[in-house]
Amino acid sequence: MRSADAAERPGIHLVDVRKAFGEQQVLDGVTLEVPRGKITVVIGRSGTGKSVLLKHVMGLLRPDSGAVRVGDEDLSSLGARALRQVRFRFGVVFQHAALFDSMDVFENVAFPLREHGMVRTSSGRDRRMREPEIRARVEQLLRSVGLEGAGLKPVDALSGGMRKRVGLARALVRDPEFLLYDEPTTGLDPIMTAQIDNLIRSTQDENPGITSLVISHDMQATFRIADHIAMLHKGQVQLRGSPAEFQSSVDPIVRQFVEGRVDPPTES
Amino acid sequence: MNPVSALGRSIIAWVEALGGYLSFVARGFGSGFLPPYRVRLLLKQMHFVGVQSLTIVMITGLFTGMVFAIQAEIGFSQFGANGLIGGIVALSLTRELSPVLTALMVNGRVGSSMAAELGTMRVTEQVDALESMAVDPLQYLVAPRVLAAMVMLPALNMVFNLVGLGGCWFVAVKQLRVPEGGFWERIWWFVDADDIVGGCFKAAVFGFILASVGCYRGYTTRGGAEGVGRATTSAVVISGVLILTSDYFLTRILAPLSVG
Repeated sequence: MRSADAAERPGIHLVDVRKAFGEQQVLDGVTLEVPRGKITVVIGRSGTGKSVLLKHVMGLLRPDSGAVRVGDEDLSSLGARALRQVRFRFGVVFQHAALFDSMDVFENVAFPLREHGMVRTSSGRDRRMREPEIRARVEQLLRSVGLEGAGLKPVDALSGGMRKRVGLARALVRDPEFLLYDEPTTGLDPIMTAQIDNLIRSTQDENPGITSLVISHDMQATFRIADHIAMLHKGQVQLRGSPAEFQSSVDPIVRQFVEGRVDPPTES
Repeated sequence: MNPVSALGRSIIAWVEALGGYLSFVARGFGSGFLPPYRVRLLLKQMHFVGVQSLTIVMITGLFTGMVFAIQAEIGFSQFGANGLIGGIVALSLTRELSPVLTALMVNGRVGSSMAAELGTMRVTEQVDALESMAVDPLQYLVAPRVLAAMVMLPALNMVFNLVGLGGCWFVAVKQLRVPEGGFWERIWWFVDADDIVGGCFKAAVFGFILASVGCYRGYTTRGGAEGVGRATTSAVVISGVLILTSDYFLTRILAPLSVG
């Protein structure tokens, strides 16, 4: 047993997680620690099960075997109601932002607060957030992602980068304990990619209590933001380590991915 | 694959789909009666299903009533019973034509739209986003739609009845010179409250069918834009067939009420 230091405790811990869809074994015994207060980036080629892994962490999929621990809870044994309680602690930035297109920017960011927003009163009781409090919080978040004054825009009028930033604001609005990003920079130009990466890094630095898990296949971005990297290959963790360890790794599969080479050793 | 195992597989797939639909409907419908109550979403859907369908329902009702007046006149004039046109058309409208035609028209507009909207939300991960924010997508998306359709279809059915009767009156009284007094008198003879209530009951069931099938097909969409297209088409076709087949059974169940 390791020391009980809070920062050392795993924020998210996957233990020997297996998942198959029909004949296809997507996760084949994944064991991964995502430490509290750090950014862990999971990399790997398309189709190696990165998004499936993320859906397990969100509790949207249940493993065929193995355990998915978030904090002290094992998601694979929770019922729907308990799972919902765990999800209160999550913020998720989806690959294409997954903004609600029936709402404008403000309503999207305000949505989690209108659903579940609570504040603690001076007498120690919890009460629902009021509209002016919601407005102040949403505007603060929109400012922090550089979208001040964009609240009334319909989401279909936003560029890809703006959508991602609105998605990040929506994920952050309830001060989540766990922040999950699914390919946050896919489809963005290099400058916008760098801006989003900076935003991910600064979000982590400003909220050191957050545990961040990022799914990515962009090596440059990964080296910019990661505290830890794990590489998925054929449904298993090929290597987990620091960015420096990845850069100096001699594992041919890791090297090929890091350098973006087409030639073997990996068969597709 | 040999024919027997192909048949077996398709039967299994059908049973699975039916089980999936029934479980979806039970959870979706039931969640509408649990807090938090989504009154605003319900009102929004009632506006979409009811108010925004008024024009097509009124046009369909008007011309259905007019056409049936002409057709009834062709038959009744052969034995000098033109005075019965109003009663017969009113009876056909309240018991059969209004609920079925209202449902089929609304299905084309609303059932397809529900499948397309939920399908798009599914493939763009908006449904996952709801779940990740600890919001029950069935309660948020499905319950208001199904409840709204069950409430608004009977209302639209009544609009269809009234407008259809108006169309019938115009053709029979103004064009075919059926005496006005006899026209209305026969309607009171033929139609009683059970017919109207039975028609509204049918409309509520059809509303449940078209909304639940539309939502189910949308919610279970797979595979991008093509999947959304498939879900939309199949929702309209399946609901249409279910509305017409369930109409037979509903008529069998409701018939004794009126005859007795």
